[in-house]
Amino acid sequence: MLLQIAEPGQSPLPHQVKLAVGIDLGTTNSLVASVRGGRADVLVDESGQFMLPSVVNYSSPDGPVVGSAALELASQHPADTLVSVKRFMGRGRKDAGKDAERSHYRLADGEEGMVSFVTSQGDISPVQASAEILAVLGERARQTLGGEIEGAVITVPAYFDDAQRQATKDAATLGGLPVLRLLNEPTAAAVAYGLDSQEEGVIAVYDLGGGTFDISILRLHRGVFEVLATGGDTALGGDDLDAAIVNWALEQAADVELQAGQYRALHRMARKAKESLSSELVVELPLGDVIADADPVTLRREEFEAFIQPLVKRTLRACRRCLRDADIDAVDDVVLVGGSTRVPLIREAVEDFFKRPPLIDIDPDRVVAIGAAIQADILVGNRPEGDLLLLDVIPLSLGLETMGGLVEKIVPRNTTIPVTRAQEFTTFKDGQTALAVHIVQGERELVADSRSLARFELRGIPPMVAGAARIRVTFQVDADGLLNVTAREETTGVESAVTVKPSFGLSDEQITEMLQSSFSHAEEDKTARQLAEQRLDAEQLLQGLDAALAADGAELLSEAECQALHQKMQALRDAARGEDGALLRALTEELGRASEAFAARRMDKSIKQALAGVSLEELDQEVRE
Amino acid sequence: MSSPDFSQNYFQLFELPVQFAIDTQLLGNRYRQLQRELHPDRYASAAEHEKRVAVQYSAFVNEAYSALRSPLKRALYLLELKGMSQQEISGQQVDGGFLIEQMELREKLESMHDLVDPDTVLDHLVAEISSDIKIHQAEFEAAYNQSDLTAAASACVKMQYLEKILQEAEQIESELMDS
Repeated sequence: MLLQIAEPGQSPLPHQVKLAVGIDLGTTNSLVASVRGGRADVLVDESGQFMLPSVVNYSSPDGPVVGSAALELASQHPADTLVSVKRFMGRGRKDAGKDAERSHYRLADGEEGMVSFVTSQGDISPVQASAEILAVLGERARQTLGGEIEGAVITVPAYFDDAQRQATKDAATLGGLPVLRLLNEPTAAAVAYGLDSQEEGVIAVYDLGGGTFDISILRLHRGVFEVLATGGDTALGGDDLDAAIVNWALEQAADVELQAGQYRALHRMARKAKESLSSELVVELPLGDVIADADPVTLRREEFEAFIQPLVKRTLRACRRCLRDADIDAVDDVVLVGGSTRVPLIREAVEDFFKRPPLIDIDPDRVVAIGAAIQADILVGNRPEGDLLLLDVIPLSLGLETMGGLVEKIVPRNTTIPVTRAQEFTTFKDGQTALAVHIVQGERELVADSRSLARFELRGIPPMVAGAARIRVTFQVDADGLLNVTAREETTGVESAVTVKPSFGLSDEQITEMLQSSFSHAEEDKTARQLAEQRLDAEQLLQGLDAALAADGAELLSEAECQALHQKMQALRDAARGEDGALLRALTEELGRASEAFAARRMDKSIKQALAGVSLEELDQEVRE
Repeated sequence: MSSPDFSQNYFQLFELPVQFAIDTQLLGNRYRQLQRELHPDRYASAAEHEKRVAVQYSAFVNEAYSALRSPLKRALYLLELKGMSQQEISGQQVDGGFLIEQMELREKLESMHDLVDPDTVLDHLVAEISSDIKIHQAEFEAAYNQSDLTAAASACVKMQYLEKILQEAEQIESELMDS
């Protein structure tokens, strides 16, 4: 515990500078950046390229191929070449259907309800494919920076839900990167701009990535970035602009049926056409290169603009809603992120909407990775205190299923994180000993329309009359935007806490297993994790007992009983500071057993109270009537 | 880690007077100051339990800030500090005239989908509801300052009604946007 690194507030000595990276894990391309000599910049590969195409090819038994080389194999092995896997992160097979159709993948049901891709080298999950991309970027950073990476900040679309965030974090861990933090992409972009300017004001970040659209409104105030609101559309991105060109081209070619490989090739042609149209007024698509005997077609910029207009409008609607959520009328600056924001129509539409010419000083392709690198540098402890602090929000409301399939929102969207919110529930049947808890995310009122994150059952509720149990369900969202839910029956002091993981993510055991097969230090991690879990168990028990003793200790326990309990609690507290996991577990169990009698007495007391309460209420009712 | 005293009420935490009128700029400054010290990012390389404590402190400060920043939440919190429970507050009677107005507002909202130009009508309606809310805020403040908790609670209930309708209006607006 004493291997103290620099305390927050103390600047480490120069030779203690730690290697930290920011990674933009994109739908189309991924980048890694780092702060060197006080400047943040992207890191290039041996051929001088900074963008790594987010493509993984699984056609060879010798192992996966990542990046440009994989892209070259795409037409030849369409089903074995995974592109845009980010669209599938944290998704079940049902959600993935539409995207898969467009991408010509063969899908399988992966573990824990997650989708997998069928390749000639076996079923591959989106998490595994993303891990390959992250591993390549991690290796690039190790080579360039000349040392082990101590911490990485990985960016995610602000609009990613809990399952998608968890999947991203899992991929980074699997890719061998120590994750400091998940950072929202628009927030990263604002950091990249804000740190230089040291200005005060309100910034809008318009981020049209390959597969997602995000809009965020932030306030910068003396080095504190406060995200006021965020919104967007996870199913709308630059790829959709390309797809619009593909559809148009197919109409021109009289709607021929395409093979998967041809479709991929046409998509690449469309992307190039889109890029050309940012500077040219007319572009020619040599369709004959993809479809035999097809004539080349020309696309004018106005035509292109006409068919992407509905998509641009959709982004502006999200902007309007986000401004309202932020309770802001005007912004001081607009930042553009994502290669597709080079499309002139989009620049004009954004300028028109926000009544500000957008900032474009930093390359929109690099800005997110640069911001992430700055944040990584701060988090790893390389910068003096007071430099910068990010206060982010949760993008989608979190809630619970209640009677009749309705959602009760516990944490509304745009709540600043970290956040802890609790809600009390009760039993509705006499003697009910279990309560089903279903956690959902989204803005809709019906459970059926929301994303299901997890389900669990709180068991072991002591039998009581209906309405007497007080079950406190606590939502805690950490600074990464990741959720933990615990449920506890409060009246009795009987501990029944449950922690859930989103049902689409990998379980800790699964991750540990995968790590063991690929890394030698997995065993250490597992021990450390187990120790941390045991500490948590011990702490929860101690906290629960402290509360119970404060409430009923004097009334229900004799002096001697109370003292005995306190002694055991102290022993456990001491053990929790040590490193002996086995001892910690034994003492936790011992204290648990020792406190059972106390718990039973509290149960008796609460049942008496509950019964008394019922009769009083009934009396009250009679008087009113 | 310097820790805030969790037994303080939210006003004391931000060193502000316990009253409805609030200096939002000062509130914002004190909030950011506390987060600068307590946010888990400040403890990114600290021990696990310190990080967990930071998450809890930071969440507490966020909770306090959100309770004071919103006028409705602030009003409810002031009544809570005076010892009124949620049930007591929501049990307050509101006059029949107000309820009839609410029904009319709701009817207008429900017919919104059939209009030719719903956006303009909706904008007007949102402006109307927002100005009504301001009136009841003033009503709350006056009653609270005269220690008339019953009248203050009744103003709170009206604010709650109107906030709920405002949310519904926004829901309808986003449905219109998406259609």
